[in-house]
Order: sequence, then C-alpha cells, then structure tokens
Amino acid sequence: MQAAFFLLYTMPFRISDEHTSADVGLVISGKSLEELFADAALGVTAIMTDPDRLEERRRIEVELSAENLENLFLGWLSEIVYYKDAECFLFRRCEFSLLDENPPRLKAELFGDRIDPDRHVLMADIKAVTYYKFKLIKGNQDWQAEVVLDL
Amino acid sequence: MSRETFTQISDSVWEIAPDYKDGMLVPARVLSSRALIDGIDEKVIDQITNVACLPGIRRYALCMPDGHMGYGFPIGGVAAFSIDDGVISPGGIGFDINCGMRLLRTDLTLAELEPRKEQLLNELYQTIPSGVGSSGYVKLKQDQFRDVMERGLDWCLDNDYAVDHDLDHIENRGRLDGADSTAVSQKAISRGINQMGTLGSGNHYLEIAVAKPEHIYDRNIANRFGIDRENQIVISIHCGSRGFGHQIATDYLQVFSDCAKRYGLAVRDRELLSAPVTSTEGQRYFKAMCCAANAAFVNRQLITHGVRQVFSRIFGRDAAKLGIQTVYDVAHNIAKRERYTIEGREQEVLVHRKGATRSFGPGRDEVPAAYRDIGQPVIVGGSMETGSALLCGTTVADRETFGSSLHGAGRTMSRMKAKKAMRGEAVKQRMKECGILVKTGYMPGLAEEAAYAYKDIDEVVDAVHAAGISRKVARFHPVLNVKG
Repeated sequence: MQAAFFLLYTMPFRISDEHTSADVGLVISGKSLEELFADAALGVTAIMTDPDRLEERRRIEVELSAENLENLFLGWLSEIVYYKDAECFLFRRCEFSLLDENPPRLKAELFGDRIDPDRHVLMADIKAVTYYKFKLIKGNQDWQAEVVLDL
Repeated sequence: MSRETFTQISDSVWEIAPDYKDGMLVPARVLSSRALIDGIDEKVIDQITNVACLPGIRRYALCMPDGHMGYGFPIGGVAAFSIDDGVISPGGIGFDINCGMRLLRTDLTLAELEPRKEQLLNELYQTIPSGVGSSGYVKLKQDQFRDVMERGLDWCLDNDYAVDHDLDHIENRGRLDGADSTAVSQKAISRGINQMGTLGSGNHYLEIAVAKPEHIYDRNIANRFGIDRENQIVISIHCGSRGFGHQIATDYLQVFSDCAKRYGLAVRDRELLSAPVTSTEGQRYFKAMCCAANAAFVNRQLITHGVRQVFSRIFGRDAAKLGIQTVYDVAHNIAKRERYTIEGREQEVLVHRKGATRSFGPGRDEVPAAYRDIGQPVIVGGSMETGSALLCGTTVADRETFGSSLHGAGRTMSRMKAKKAMRGEAVKQRMKECGILVKTGYMPGLAEEAAYAYKDIDEVVDAVHAAGISRKVARFHPVLNVKG
C-alpha cells in the first residue's frame, strides 16, 4: 500500500477528496491538451492498479467526437472505464494520432493488459466519470482539469 | 449548518422553506434526529434544495436520516414528480441503478455455524466473484442478456436459478414491466453481460449475520419475516446492476445534456440533468432504467443461487432443507410509478429513491401477499462492522414520505481519510476480536468501510422509527463478510 501511495505522489496528477466522500477526485494539469488527456487517463488507471505492473499485451483504438471539449474529455475517461468492464482491459500508455479542439475529436491507441488478479493488485473500481464539480480550464501556460470519479 | 435554516415540524422532521433558494417550488424536508440535524453536511442541504427546484415536483423534496452528499440528489434523497408535467432524472436514481439489499433467512443457528466459519467464508469468497474485473459464473449470449433485462426474475425461474418463493418475496417479483432493451446501448450491454452474479466492489458485500434475541425489537413481525429462532443465521447481499446500470446512467446523462435546452430546463447542476417524463428521451431512459433494475434483481438472485450451493455443500443438506429463503429484496436506487393522495386527489407520480428504500405499510397492493397485512420488510445495510437492520413499512411513510425510508448508515468520512485513520489489517484484527471474519481482494480497502467511516446505524434507525416511517424489527450482528 505504501508503494501504491508513493506511486500516486510521483504521478503527474493528484488524487483528492476535497469534493467527495464516497468517491475520489482527480486533479490534473498538462502543458498541452495531449498531456492533459494522457495524464488524466493514466490517473484513472492508477486509482485502480499500479500502471507499472501492466504489460503492453494488447492495443485498443479509440475514436471519439463531442459537441465540446469538456464532453470530449469526460467521454475519453469514460472509455477507459468502459474497456475495464467490457474487455477487462487496463492501459498503461496511450498515443494520440489526432486531438482537436475545433471540432472536438480524438483518435488514440491504448496499450495495456488484461486484468489478472494474480499479477495486478486491484485497489479500487471506478464505475463512472461524473460531471460533479468538473472543471477544464485553459491557463496561460497549461491546461488544468478536475474530475470526480464514482467508485 | 445553522439550525435556523430549518423549521422544526416535529421531533423528527425539519423543513427548509421555499424562500431559502431562488427557484424552489416546494419545501425541502429532512427526516432526522436533533443530533443528526446539527451535523448535517451543507452540501446535502444544497443538493436537496436543488431537487426542490425541479419541474413538476410534488409536496416536498425529502432527505432521509442517513443522507449524505451524492451526485445531483443527495444519497438518501426522495422526490415525486408529476407524470404529466414532471421530470425524470438519472441523478435522482443513481449510477448504480437498483442497487439494493436482499435478505435471506436460514434454519441454522450460530452454534451450528461456528465450527465451519472459516471454511464457509473461504468457499463464499471463491464462489461469489467480487472486485475489479470479475466475471460471473453464468455466461450469457446477447439474446439471453436481453431476456435478463426484459424479464428479470422470470428468466431466473425458467433457468432454475430461482424458486417461486423467491419471486413471491421480491419487490415487483423481480421484474419491472417497463423494460425495453431497444432503449439500451450496445456499450451498456458489453459492460454488463459478463458481470451477472458478481458482487462488485466499494461498499458492496455479502454478509452472514446472527439475529441475537436481545436485538429482536418486534417478535411478532420478526416471526412473520421468518426470523423465528434464537441466534438464527441470516444472509444479506448488497449490490446492484454493476457496469450495466452505470453505463445506462452515463449514456442518458449525455442524452439529457443534449436535450435540456430544447425542453427549456435550467441546469443547476449537471448531475441533476433531467427530461420531461412524457418526452421521448425521458420515456427511453425509464425503459433502460427498468432493464438495469431487472438485471440487478437477477444479479442478486444469481448470488443467492451461489450462496445456496455453498451452504448446501458445507452443511451437507439441500438449501431448501436448510431453510434458506428470501425474506425480501429491496431496490434503493430507483424510480417507480406509484399512486398517492396528494392535495386530496389520488394521482400517479414518478417517485425517485436515491439511497432510499420503499417502506410501504399494510394494505398496499404492491406489498407481497405474505406481508400485505403488516407492511413490507425494509432492509438496511450498515457498515461491515456494525451489521444490518430489518424494519417494517408503515402507513405513515405512505402519507409523509412517498412510502420511503432510509437505506443504510450513511457515510461520514471520505475513503481517503478512512484509509489514513487505520490500516486494513488493523480493521480486520479488530473485527476478528468482535467475532467477525472478513475476506477481501484488497486489504487496505477494508479501512474505507470501517464503522468509523459511517454514521451510527442505531441512531439513523431510531430516527426513522421515531418519525414513524418504518418500525424497528431486528438488528443483525455480523459473523462473516465478503467485501467486494
């Protein structure tokens, strides 16, 4: 568990309980939109298991569009949750071939592993990405987001 | 929260007037003891008064004594909306559609269980899948899963996972007739199809408990509910529709986000998105929600089937001979069309219960025949250290709270704080010293569900008993717990 906490502190996101008691918040910033999206998705994985213990055994393509950037971001994180249940798949790395603000759309590849309780310590199950206290802001130097995940 | 915010209506009912917030159409009422009202979270007040602003709401927006912060509605929130000019809101039902409680009684006593406790716990843990990425023992094809979502417990009966007695003792006989699988996305099907018969995680659990004689508060009603011998073993199952229900909620929040402007609905909180009950989108969500509710009833039934097999193996007798029977199964995240007398006129409304249990008193047709003269069982899940409670519905609830009562103890401490307060191993040891054995896939997670993370279950149960919306029947002391 200490290893897990250490991992979370060294990751490019912060786990928070500021807005929620039953669930968990994720605070992310990135120099680019790609970095923000990638780090947020990695945060979703890291709440559930140690990404370093996942191998790149499988690749999944994700293609999404939305009416605005906020919904694209939430939809992207919801894809991670979807593949966790539908395919028992958790990713450790992603690559974007497309990530546009106007119109909001993305194409990405997720590289990861099938969930295996013998190889992975499963710490929590994220069941939904919520709108609660959701923020996505473009700063002067970077992008920032806050999202609450339903456990 | 200042007590001046509230007007005290009675010893257990506290009201916030509509002038508290712009847009409130009705008052908000919190059912609570004096001590609990002093500790109420401001976010709960903000959320329940937001609910009071939703179009077509009738009488009050209500919050039960176990209320705590949720998404949209607070957990413990209840509201009834006009079928004609009201709304339906996924945030008033919860992501985990038909999360609920199943209670089973047995003929076994604690003395018979004691020598086999560890073996029983291990076999239950092996047989009932739990945690992230778990799959159920029933492999379903797409057409079978459509049958599950549209026919609920009738599918279980046809496939020998249930007996008639189970259906006779489940809310709506485990089948909501409004289900239509064409309203469900392929994504939701893909998320749910492999998860039937699994506990899930978080606060979901399977608990084996004992009904000690000193914790039987109403012996007559306890007997009618099958709690009829000293130190009797009972089994409770807390889980819902798993990823299936979550995906339906996620899908329809998006649909409702897209249509809010078209219907002229102000969005005060995006988790409180809604659509008119009569709209195409609202109707489709209701149909999909019924599918998820049916899947959740099936999920708890498949777990019941697994539990019966394990008990049968360990005690060397058929489950029927062990007296393992369903006492009742209640949904605590759901919306239902129900009839009430409002302003002197009987009318149908869509009652949203989000972390609240139906608590119908005697006489209502919806209560199973076996209990119609006394009222329905209300099953309340506590923390894994304090155990659960059994209550009985009342006519006061029919009159005052749209037939609703509490659902659990109510979380007070965040998961992160709970984990920092104590290590999971220490919680396990403390439970062992109290005679409770627990098994889980992730030990630190135990601390998240420790008793200190929740309100005192006796205090919240006493509050609904005092308010008259449910009557205390029994408390169960946990013996074994499989934590999801």
